[in-house]
Amino acid sequence: MKLSNNAVLNAVKGAGNTLVLLLEALGHITQVWHRRRSILNQMHVIGTQSLPITCFFMLLIGMVFALQTGIEFARFGQTNLVGLVIVSAMVRELGPWMTAFVLIARVGSSMAAEIGSMKVAEEIDALEVMSINPASFVVMPRVVGYALMGPALTVVGTLIGIFGGGIVANMQLGVQWSDYFRFAERGAEALDIYWGLLKSLVFSVTAAAVACSNGMRTTGGAVGVGRASRNTVVISLTLVVFFNYLLTSFYRVVKMFVSGVL
Amino acid sequence: MSDNGKPVVEFTDVSKKLGGRQILDKLSFEVAKGETFVIIGYSGSGKSVSLRHMVGLMQPDDGSIRIDGDEITTMSRKELELMRRKFGVLFQSGALIAWLTLFENVELPLVEHTRMSRKKRAEVVQKKLELVNLWDDRDKFPAEISGGMKKRGGLARALALDPGLVLYDEPSSGLDPVIAYEVDKLINGLRDDHGMTQIVVTHDMESAFTIASRIGVFYHGEMIQVGTPDEIRASQIPEVQHFITGGREGQVSMRSDAAIARGVPPGLNSRRDVSPTTGNEQDAGYVLLSEEEVAASATRESSDETSSLEPEESQHENP
Repeated sequence: MKLSNNAVLNAVKGAGNTLVLLLEALGHITQVWHRRRSILNQMHVIGTQSLPITCFFMLLIGMVFALQTGIEFARFGQTNLVGLVIVSAMVRELGPWMTAFVLIARVGSSMAAEIGSMKVAEEIDALEVMSINPASFVVMPRVVGYALMGPALTVVGTLIGIFGGGIVANMQLGVQWSDYFRFAERGAEALDIYWGLLKSLVFSVTAAAVACSNGMRTTGGAVGVGRASRNTVVISLTLVVFFNYLLTSFYRVVKMFVSGVL
Repeated sequence: MSDNGKPVVEFTDVSKKLGGRQILDKLSFEVAKGETFVIIGYSGSGKSVSLRHMVGLMQPDDGSIRIDGDEITTMSRKELELMRRKFGVLFQSGALIAWLTLFENVELPLVEHTRMSRKKRAEVVQKKLELVNLWDDRDKFPAEISGGMKKRGGLARALALDPGLVLYDEPSSGLDPVIAYEVDKLINGLRDDHGMTQIVVTHDMESAFTIASRIGVFYHGEMIQVGTPDEIRASQIPEVQHFITGGREGQVSMRSDAAIARGVPPGLNSRRDVSPTTGNEQDAGYVLLSEEEVAASATRESSDETSSLEPEESQHENP
């Protein structure tokens, strides 16, 4: 008992549980057509319903980012370059992980709470005794829905962010739209875009798996549901920033390889 | 035992420890084909845990559980899934899936496990929902209906695949007396008309006597008496008398946690050891508990039960 109170052991156990659940859910990916209704429903909850808040966030982030970089560039009389910096930052970093943050706060927490409530209301047990695998019935549609809508929202959010930066550049920094987009085009190449989408996919699958796994391991009634929801947000955010670092490091190596440095 | 041949459910020396407490203690009993076996006992005495063992949601520490002669404790997940199709389970709260309507909930096992056409499925669902008098509410979601309706919906779902064995966890709790009686009639109908084997966990004595072919009385993880309703009514065992008369006759004695930890058996003949006046009841292995304490101990047990699945949550055991 003492040993199991160990935070490290718990973390390893949680990670193991999450990974096993994710693999099990992916093992049921062949049932995508059978569960299409459930998946579409999840896509609606995760994607469509999150669209307004994601757009609002990204718009404001793009605007603030333009203001901040504008201050620095103005010192060197290079305000026109704002577009370049905004696009590269949006595509490579801000787009994928700010969208991931918004989704974790809005979707991940409620996903864990929903599954946690199912667990404490014996609904998960009921599925088991009906020989319906919860990994297929509950987890797979959520992971698939999240994995499809996360990157989709990232694309929309990134574009909105770039647009927001453009508004500020044009109205407050005095940059012509044509100049903004001329430099913006140089901000990202194909690899950057693919890498941004890859990041978003990894973040989405991670967040969905963490939410489902915490939900499925919920014990202890309403308090347990709250705990599952909280743990989901904390763990997902931690993993997202950690994976972001790993993926960016890897990106650097790939980029150097592509550009012939390595 | 009825004379229908081999038992459908067979528990042999099943033991289970949860959160340091012996919940099932060498539990043995058999349920014959076609009978309604009712398990009664105090809250937290291990009734529901035994039900969870029956459907493979929990694994015993020791002992054997056979369903239709097949040992389920050693089954793989796939084998368990196949075996579970033989039964329907009614959970305490109904356990309907929240995002599906009543109709879809009852249809769910048919969609998952049969190749029936949509039309055929609708016919089956209608039949089952009419059986529990819920057809008019078929398009409602579980959140929009009462607790009793949820439970009846759960029953309709449990019966969707026409299982040979139906398990009920507290079927009448939370129902008004009229609906509870309807459910009892339904259970009797399923036995008489369809020959279903049914196992019912309850502490509603009236219902138990109405539906039971045989009754097993649970006391601290053991079956202290198994018999027909008449045999149970006439029981000389104090705990049985106390339970079935709702505390008006017989004695209640619950082992203290300390006694349980020391492994003192329930010892039905050691009543003389309990002396409320000496103040050392704990040493005798028994304490007289107030209602609040009994309730508190029940809560503790149910949280112990879950904590065993989640050991990191069980710090409260080691204050």
